[in-house]
Amino acid sequence: MAEDPVSTDASWVDDILFTGRPTDICLRLPEPVDKATLRRLVGAAQTRLAEAGLRPGGAAALRLPPSLAYVVNLLATWRTGAQAILLDHRLTDHEVDRALRRLDPQVVVAPVRTGGGALRIFVDVTEGVSAYSDRPAGSPHAVIQLSSGSTGPSKVIGRTAADLVGEVHRYTRIDGVALPGERIVLLPSMVHVLGLVGGLLYGLHAGVELCPPERLSGDAILAAVAAQDSPATVLGVPFHIGLLASTVPPGPLPQLRRMTTGGELVPAAVARAFTDRYGVPLGNMYGMTEVGVIGTDLYGAHRPAIAPAPGIRVRESGGELWVSCPANPYVGLADPTRWADGWLHTRDAGAVDPGTGLVTVKGRLDSQVSVGGMKVDLTEVEATVAELPGVTAAVVVWDDGITAYVQTDGSLTEDTLDKQLAERLAGYKRPRTLHLLAQLPRTTTGKLVRSTTVLRDAAS
Amino acid sequence: MTGQPDLGRADLVSMLAELTAKPVDQVPDRIGSMELAWLVHLVEQRYDRRLELTDDQLAGIRTVDDALAVFRTSLTVPADG
Repeated sequence: MAEDPVSTDASWVDDILFTGRPTDICLRLPEPVDKATLRRLVGAAQTRLAEAGLRPGGAAALRLPPSLAYVVNLLATWRTGAQAILLDHRLTDHEVDRALRRLDPQVVVAPVRTGGGALRIFVDVTEGVSAYSDRPAGSPHAVIQLSSGSTGPSKVIGRTAADLVGEVHRYTRIDGVALPGERIVLLPSMVHVLGLVGGLLYGLHAGVELCPPERLSGDAILAAVAAQDSPATVLGVPFHIGLLASTVPPGPLPQLRRMTTGGELVPAAVARAFTDRYGVPLGNMYGMTEVGVIGTDLYGAHRPAIAPAPGIRVRESGGELWVSCPANPYVGLADPTRWADGWLHTRDAGAVDPGTGLVTVKGRLDSQVSVGGMKVDLTEVEATVAELPGVTAAVVVWDDGITAYVQTDGSLTEDTLDKQLAERLAGYKRPRTLHLLAQLPRTTTGKLVRSTTVLRDAAS
Repeated sequence: MTGQPDLGRADLVSMLAELTAKPVDQVPDRIGSMELAWLVHLVEQRYDRRLELTDDQLAGIRTVDDALAVFRTSLTVPADG
């Protein structure tokens, strides 16, 4: 039998994640789930995945919202020695179909029933497993994540088990993360790198309880902090700082140790409003799907700069930050403009202080924007708009929100355009503002103009 | 509505302006899940009560006006306790 690079990795799940005592609580949903229960659920899920056709060296696509079912099926996929393809549950059928055709998993895990109230962070899911193909995984990675891509369709990013384990160990060496016996009040999705590795995998490894709030509101986050006596770190994105800064705590919260966010820079005024109200550090993290956590400032001492995480090197070249990344993280053809010779181009403008090594991130050099911590490449949005029937040209820009200027053949209304986009793009990628124009502004050589000022004038 | 004036469209627009740091006249009419979570949170803070909303209600909200209609309906239901 040919050697299978994925299946040989399966032992890392038990060695790194199922550590500690069987009675250790790992999740509070809010009912406590201990390691022994999680292990039993994972074993049962492995059987179901195998019955549906998942084999060591194959791949399972998980199209699940944050849920116990997601955690269980993810760990079961890895314990099978297979690759997990993580599909954000907000992606449309159109986006998912395209990803499945490209990645060809053996099975797809999706909800057959979803319960719980509105604005849930963690939901009750009964999952179904269906067979998809009989092919092995397309790459030796343990996890595949999709990132909004500059060339239209999503970028496919792979990380090996060794890479994930390396990042978990990196977290254990960062001063200011939640410690064994403490809790993480988890707000970011575990489908994406911050919630996946900084929350789920680190928490399982280190013996930190993961406690998602009952729902997405300031009151619920504070209630989750207050629910146990042990120290709690709130992990989120900048949007969540605003929720807490605008919530009046019902009483003292001695359990709250820190809030840490990743995703984008936090304006100084927002940071101050939070620390004034809660009197605990507001930490900042910088990372990418390709490599995980790159740097941190968990005491808010270097804002807006961050210190590189242990084992990570960052350098500046031509105004762009490059980060050490031993292997090409992209599945498919290698793109030397994104990764070469052990260095990943972050496409972030920035600087590295030669004396202290502190890194300052100054914003994107490409068309990627952050919407509530989710990365969206405007090129993907623009390509999707431009492909719609009735659209003759489109320009999508960031104008304090994703804004589309659309030249049509006269057959489209704003409402029909919006509905068509809702079938093709996940909600967080969709334009908040649509302008339908008979003629988009162009340069004398016929190129579309991208200046927000000119576009606004043309639409007014 | 517990001593608070009725919720109006201008209230929601100013809440969104606070989130996006935009002038109120530049707040888009279309809202996504993040803006919706923000509005629910601030309306709950303002009225000091929880809005009992269903997934279906939230899924049907695409604009500020949609949100206003759903919130008003929810606020007319007597609060528990």
